[in-house]
Amino acid sequence: MNAATYLPPLSDVARLSLSIGRIFMESGESGRVIHEEIFAAACALGCDLAEVYCQHAAIIVMLRRGDEFCVQMGKVGEHGVNLRRSEAIRDILRRVASDDLKCSAAQIELDDIPHTIRSYPVWLVCLCTGFACGAFGRLFGVDWPAFVPVVIGAATGQWIRHALMVRKQNIFITTGIVSICSAFLTGLGARLLGSLHPATATAAAVLLLVPGVAVLNTQMDAIEGKPSLAAARGLRVMYLLVSMTLGLIAAQRLILPGL
Amino acid sequence: MNNFWLHLFHQAFFGGIAAAGFGILFNCPPRMILQCFCSGAVALAVRTAGQAGNLNLAEASFFAALVVATAERVLQEFQSSHGMIISLVGCIPMVPGSIAARGLMNLYALLRAHPNEEILAAADGMRKLLEVTFTLAAIGTALAIPRLIYPRKTPQLG
Repeated sequence: MNAATYLPPLSDVARLSLSIGRIFMESGESGRVIHEEIFAAACALGCDLAEVYCQHAAIIVMLRRGDEFCVQMGKVGEHGVNLRRSEAIRDILRRVASDDLKCSAAQIELDDIPHTIRSYPVWLVCLCTGFACGAFGRLFGVDWPAFVPVVIGAATGQWIRHALMVRKQNIFITTGIVSICSAFLTGLGARLLGSLHPATATAAAVLLLVPGVAVLNTQMDAIEGKPSLAAARGLRVMYLLVSMTLGLIAAQRLILPGL
Repeated sequence: MNNFWLHLFHQAFFGGIAAAGFGILFNCPPRMILQCFCSGAVALAVRTAGQAGNLNLAEASFFAALVVATAERVLQEFQSSHGMIISLVGCIPMVPGSIAARGLMNLYALLRAHPNEEILAAADGMRKLLEVTFTLAAIGTALAIPRLIYPRKTPQLG
């Protein structure tokens, strides 16, 4: 234990643990990673025992040091994916483990993460998302005339999603709106450019909405012994896919009526 | 033979583009975007080769995810500890979102199917959703295996 000279109060360690778990969860990490990192932080800060109960919307932490123990619960916000945030937390935890950073300073840095972590410009994210969906289209066998409409439709969809998420709109309604807009634009462009695969192109354009990381985390949480967290993630994934599909069906009815 | 290699290159290249694009969407650090591209390209190349070798989608996806996750776990000794970002992003192009959407659309089509088309629509919808389920289970299992066999060293409490 490298914190032998100074041990922070258990309540501070518990608060730090909850912050770690919350930001990791909101950044798209699996339950196992969250458990491991909280254990590592608790160990570095002189705890004898750490128990973590990770749920979809809340995390409970129980820490013990000698005869003293502390239980705290914290809420988790909307789940997303942000890999730079995850890396920033790991960097903070490395410094805590090597005793370069005290518990209170680590808490301040964790609280600042939403303001200090850099992001790509929105236009670049939209463009890259568009090209990713265009690549998906090519993987599904979409012809070249439909490639550009897929890129434009998906990029526009990502821009709409960003605008709605900034305004904290409901994730499922956002998904439905983005799906219908992306698929409609793509279907329109594919028809105008004479594509032979407009239906496949519309499906490719909405793939930015498939919660791929959440799907894989669901699998890993189930395999790694966290079935309740996996079930909650799976239910959310299912509703997102239904919202996406309904938007896609509506757009295809509008732009590809003979389908 | 040439057609096969051309197809393999095509799938690997666009798999890499998809993985890199999603890497940007997931706010991956810039220095890792090339690794994301390589991860997606390798995953799609292995999956395409597997499918060419008569494996079904789930089996081919399993081996592709296993190769990527194992490579990341082995190479992690030489890298900073950043979880399994690269293998996760590399497997994103293999998530069968399009098949899931088509499966759900087929089930939705049941609502307006003629009596003699109902069984066909239901069977096709269920088949696609089963394919999605098995493929996702295969990818998730393959991603977890290297970490379960060779877990990260965690500090001992108490």
